[in-house]
Amino acid sequence: MQWFDALVQGILLGGMYAQYALGMALMFGVMRIVNISHGDLVILLSLIGISMATAWGLGPLAVLAILVPLGLFMGWLLQKAVLNKVVGSDPLPSLIATFGLSIALQNLMLQIWSANSRSLPGGGIESRSVDIGGIYIGLLPVIVLVVAIALTWGLDLMLKKTRFGRALRAAAADVEAAAMTGINPRAVYALATAVAVGILGFAAVFQSLRSTVAPADGAAQLIYAFEAVIIGGMGSVWGAFIGSMVLGISQGIGFRIDPGFGVLAGHLVFLIVLATRPQGLFGKA
Amino acid sequence: MTAISDAATAIPAPAVTVRRQTNSGRIAMTLAIVALVAVAVMPWWASTGTIRMILELCCYIAVAQMWNLLAGYAGLVSVGQQAFMGAAGYALFVLAQTFGINPFLAVLLSLIVPAVLAVPLYFLLHRLDGPYFSIGTWVVAEVFRLVASNLPLVNSGAGMSLRVMSQYSAFERNVAMSLLCAFMLLVTLGGSYWLLRSRFGLALIAMRDNPVAAASQGVDVSRLRFLVYVAAAVGCGLAGAVYFMAQLRINPPSAFDPMWANVAIFIVMIGGIGSIEGVLIGSLIFFIADRWFGEYGATYFVVLGLMTLLVALYARTGIWGLLSRRFDAPWFPFRRFLVDPNR
Repeated sequence: MQWFDALVQGILLGGMYAQYALGMALMFGVMRIVNISHGDLVILLSLIGISMATAWGLGPLAVLAILVPLGLFMGWLLQKAVLNKVVGSDPLPSLIATFGLSIALQNLMLQIWSANSRSLPGGGIESRSVDIGGIYIGLLPVIVLVVAIALTWGLDLMLKKTRFGRALRAAAADVEAAAMTGINPRAVYALATAVAVGILGFAAVFQSLRSTVAPADGAAQLIYAFEAVIIGGMGSVWGAFIGSMVLGISQGIGFRIDPGFGVLAGHLVFLIVLATRPQGLFGKA
Repeated sequence: MTAISDAATAIPAPAVTVRRQTNSGRIAMTLAIVALVAVAVMPWWASTGTIRMILELCCYIAVAQMWNLLAGYAGLVSVGQQAFMGAAGYALFVLAQTFGINPFLAVLLSLIVPAVLAVPLYFLLHRLDGPYFSIGTWVVAEVFRLVASNLPLVNSGAGMSLRVMSQYSAFERNVAMSLLCAFMLLVTLGGSYWLLRSRFGLALIAMRDNPVAAASQGVDVSRLRFLVYVAAAVGCGLAGAVYFMAQLRINPPSAFDPMWANVAIFIVMIGGIGSIEGVLIGSLIFFIADRWFGEYGATYFVVLGLMTLLVALYARTGIWGLLSRRFDAPWFPFRRFLVDPNR
């Protein structure tokens, strides 16, 4: 029963990681870019949300309604101002640029919000739970998981059915051929990054509701998103979701074995997947 | 075939000599040797405080040059070289403190650990593509940190102290630290320079410019990348062992501090990637900036981060790249010039 409980908690934790991983999978799939400041953007959005909630007394839903458009705008701006200049076959410029941005953002947040941990008041929702056959399941983690499934499903549908999704997949497959058929790659990239950071708006609200955030936390979120994407298999939205589940379950069971072993268990599962199935669980060889 | 060989015999190859050194290179080499000797004899001219400062500068130079070799030549952008610094640092503490081996011998022995760890790690990490390789190296450094935090052999999260150093006088320690600094510079900078001037250097430069074309010319790109990765692990390990020997204390957060990746990237990108000169310029700038502006804390790092971002966007060759476009005066020349002595 104890292990079943760990499994359930792990799946719920995976729902949180999926919200980070989706944007990273989208950006890497389309542009072959990894945005090192991915985790710092989650923290930045969270801190903005918390400050607004305390200043104007907003509830979580109102914060969500502000943070998602703000995330979309920040992503669009990031692509226009920085990433469009460094996208290309050489991975070094984009890495260095987003690495510099990550250091600047982290320290800027440290200046504005200090190193303290903060969280978003949820009006009691964060502590409510239901008892199902001896296992307590928090209401909030269930909502997080449901939202993660909805986001994955919506993103997958968008890529498959809409005009923008087709343009994205075309630009991902062959950017020059896509440009010849009348797609403007830079506009497509800007929208892709906007969507990726917009999803982080959801992640920011849920992260600050379910635990605390501090300016230095971004690096861990980046690493979890990255591990989920690699475990699941690159370039697939559902792969990133399943990868998040695997990572969440590994950490959940690891924490149950020993509290000092939880995060390490996730890293070890990632390294085992890398050693035995480098294309990821759902990637094509 | 006959036509080609006939043509080759008909026109005798002009008698050219290969010129590999320049005047600027000779001057720089002289200055470098003087500086190296000055570092080696620091206890006779510098105070303990100065020695510690120069030791820190030497560690920056060594780590930055190793990152330069990885990212600038082998195309391996690592953000996790602190894994090897911490591993060698811990190896030194375990060998000297727990097993009672002479600490100065232990510095050299501790280099075996990063070398041995780098081999399996490379075979895991090289499967990751471009940017994913970078974050993979970061995960490895995190794994090392978490393992060290849970390992009773290294006193888990509490860390270790190098108490055996108290059996030596302050002067003896300064002599050892100075000699180790000189050795570290000789191995990392001198070794890189020697490597770049050798046959491997030609292959490395070809690989830097275009890995696919280099492979088609017979360069074994994957083997060369592997060798560079292991060499950089050992170089960073040496810097880590020397740094933590001077610190006399080690614990998981300091041993595997991502700050080293930030510093290496800043130094190499500002100074100029793919050149030894750039590493020296960048190290000096960072060292001076750290002394002058370090007290501003977070604001200082915001500026460092934005500068790195701007260099990546607008000036990818860094300061040395801008300088060498105007003045052709390399400090460490490794190009080959064909000179016709009859002209």
